[in-house]
Amino acid sequence: MKYVLAGVFVAILVACGSGKKTDEQAFLNSLDSANSVADAIDDELIKSVLQNIPSPIEISVLLKESGRKYDHSMLNSPENISKYNNNYKMALNLGVYGTDLGYTNIYQQNQDGIKYLEPIEQLAEGLNIGQFFEIETIGRLAANSKNLDSLLLLTTKNFNDINYYLSSQSRSNLSILLLTGGWLEAMHITCQLSVKDPKNKVLQDTIGEQQIILEQILILFDLYKHDENMAPLLADLTNLKSAFEKIKITTTYKAPTSEVVNGVVVVKDNSTTTVEITPEDVNNIKTITSEIRSKIIS
Amino acid sequence: MKKLIVTAAFLITAIFVSPDLSGQCDSDGYSNACIPKLATGFNFLKSYKIDSESGAKDKIEFSYVFTKGTQYMINLCAGGTSTDGLVVSLYDSKRNKVATSKVNGEFISAIAYPCNATGIYYIQYTFDGPSAKCGGSALGFKR
Repeated sequence: MKYVLAGVFVAILVACGSGKKTDEQAFLNSLDSANSVADAIDDELIKSVLQNIPSPIEISVLLKESGRKYDHSMLNSPENISKYNNNYKMALNLGVYGTDLGYTNIYQQNQDGIKYLEPIEQLAEGLNIGQFFEIETIGRLAANSKNLDSLLLLTTKNFNDINYYLSSQSRSNLSILLLTGGWLEAMHITCQLSVKDPKNKVLQDTIGEQQIILEQILILFDLYKHDENMAPLLADLTNLKSAFEKIKITTTYKAPTSEVVNGVVVVKDNSTTTVEITPEDVNNIKTITSEIRSKIIS
Repeated sequence: MKKLIVTAAFLITAIFVSPDLSGQCDSDGYSNACIPKLATGFNFLKSYKIDSESGAKDKIEFSYVFTKGTQYMINLCAGGTSTDGLVVSLYDSKRNKVATSKVNGEFISAIAYPCNATGIYYIQYTFDGPSAKCGGSALGFKR
């Protein structure tokens, strides 16, 4: 009888101890004081806003499709990794390097892309989320340009898994920093290219449309305005928002139509948005973005 | 009594050690299965787990910023036949309905949306009729 009850007890313990509990505990223990205010914050609100932020891969694809040439000099150097030694900097620069890796992948610059794998692995391990990066597989896929689809899929999925994990652990502040770092790097690349090609309306509009994303990011940062690590970046992003205030985005609504084609509902969007933005606006946004980025990567 | 305790031990072990045997919704499996089903040329962006939590939720909603000039695809995966009553509907930032995957009573497994108006869009999943109310979905894009 005693043995049977003991068996039941052991079975429950085994069940509760299975999975990633050890990793989770290690992760929770590793977090620095930046998380101390998180408990008072509405995690559901954060999750709902976080999911709005688009992947920087979308911008990289747009740049390539619009004929922009690859330029690795715009990216953060992998050698800067030694500068990132706290969770705040690590999370931001994991986002920055993630965007840079995506950019090299889209342009199939595999030799450059491979250089980002080690710093990404180091930062992920520093944040105790290394288990989500399949670095060996990514490296193998990156070695062959025919594997682009698989490479993009895996890297996107790894970053999604990290964001989901961080949110589920009520440590969304790191997730916010990761996404913000990635977004700022994509902004930096787009602004650099737009300034070199001031007549390119697609690039200008893309920059103007980032007003919507910045508003979402500011909602998130505002929740952490009393956090000593995040408050200075909130001030910088608020300054960036002021540069967006001259830009006007107008949406004209017209009901959409749709039809089923080969088992897919294909929508015809009859609405449209127009972006009023000048090269001066772009230049102003570029300057502020570069200043913020410099603080992050240095 | 001994038999009863042994049976209880077996059941508890089965429930806790093997969650898949407990009848829980494997939304993770469905959402992963949906990723390779995105049409050719679409790059994967997000996967969504759709779990009504045994009927406690009648709709599940996510949001995402769609960009003008980009084509998005949202697909559905579920057990049973077709989409097992799972429906996805897309709404724009003003909550105007853009599209739904239930067309003339037929359950369609994907929506393709060439976006012409940048903004926040709401991707809403609902359950129609008797079903497991469990599934997954993937969002992809192409320029």
